[in-house]
Amino acid sequence: MSVNSYPWDDILDEQTRAMLARRPQRSALGARPAIIAVDLYDLVYDGGPRPVAELMELYPASCGEFAWRALPGTIELYRVAREHGVPIIHVTYDTRLETDPRQIHPTNRRRRQPDLKLYRIKEELAPRDGELVVYKKRASAFFGTPLCAFLNELDIDSLFVIGESTSGCVRSSVVEAWSYGYPVTVIADCVFDRYELNHKVSLLDMHLKYATVVDLDSALKTIRDRPAARKAG
Amino acid sequence: MRDFEDYCWRDLMTDEMRRIFAAYHRERGIASRPAVVVVHPHSGFTATVQATWHQEADRLVQEARRRRLPVFHSVPPVESATMKIAPVAGERICTRPCESAFFFSDLEAALTRANANGVIICGAPTSGAVRATAVEAKSYGYKVAIAEDTTGDEADLLHKMALFDVAHKYADVMTLDELLAALAKMPAAEALT
Repeated sequence: MSVNSYPWDDILDEQTRAMLARRPQRSALGARPAIIAVDLYDLVYDGGPRPVAELMELYPASCGEFAWRALPGTIELYRVAREHGVPIIHVTYDTRLETDPRQIHPTNRRRRQPDLKLYRIKEELAPRDGELVVYKKRASAFFGTPLCAFLNELDIDSLFVIGESTSGCVRSSVVEAWSYGYPVTVIADCVFDRYELNHKVSLLDMHLKYATVVDLDSALKTIRDRPAARKAG
Repeated sequence: MRDFEDYCWRDLMTDEMRRIFAAYHRERGIASRPAVVVVHPHSGFTATVQATWHQEADRLVQEARRRRLPVFHSVPPVESATMKIAPVAGERICTRPCESAFFFSDLEAALTRANANGVIICGAPTSGAVRATAVEAKSYGYKVAIAEDTTGDEADLLHKMALFDVAHKYADVMTLDELLAALAKMPAAEALT
């Protein structure tokens, strides 16, 4: 996004404008970033690129049009990241039945048990050989997973976070990434939610408190302009 | 109890929103063995939204003490002197280095030792430490309750949306009166008389 354009521009009021004006400068992305891709599984694309409200009856976990809108940009991000040696770490839900205790779920949504196959990462965004997949049971990609250890082993010093939902798993992963000390960049065009207001307010809130929100073009430029040392090949 | 969406975020609700989030509507309540977690803000924080949060939180804490429920205080490092709700003897202070009261603190172990199966969270800011604490409490498997009047923030929009998100995904959000009524239904033997 250009210097003066952010997804939350149309919802700002006096209070949030004042908070933005006081926003502290955050450290930029480091030299060895990775991409954390949260919950980009088939379930959230269910029912196709239609308004979410129309899909709720048959596909209550879908992000509909918002999921599909983010797909081409995310495919492009993966292409450029792989070309430039930026690791992609995929995060999805652990569907093994024996890992589910009774009545405990990541959120309080009433669940119609979906077909567990729908937690497979979307084909266009599927992990390639050698890319890590983290299986989680809770909202944050870090909670109860070895992600933090993986990042140390890979010598990662900063994170791009993408995926869904902005106000749920993405946000809780960003808060925890920040808590673990990583500079975090959220790529606005590659995160989505079920409703635009929740999406925009969470982006604003993360930008104020924990992360730097950028658009895809700016993220791609950052990846392309990195020093050549870590490029693939 | 009021309608699920009849809380501080009601003026943000649209029909579309109600339809999209209907899958989260459910019965709400408190755990059978709750502990109260007071999430104290940084010393520089001033609530402009729900500025009386600490007076309401104090009412909650007083009632918890009367009922001999465990009360824990989460404080940012070296800022415990600024607590608006002063701990009394026997109440543990758990320092939090980051945002969530659980992250790198001894709160989770303390809750286990206190035999709590749920938490009632109050404090500020709603969209920061309170929200992060609610998310992590849910992740740890606790039943989570929050009274909307016992949390405060710097911005109306952030306060309302934080409580909206938390109410739908992670916690049972209600008014303080509703929460006190739920506490009153607990077995009387637990209360100090």
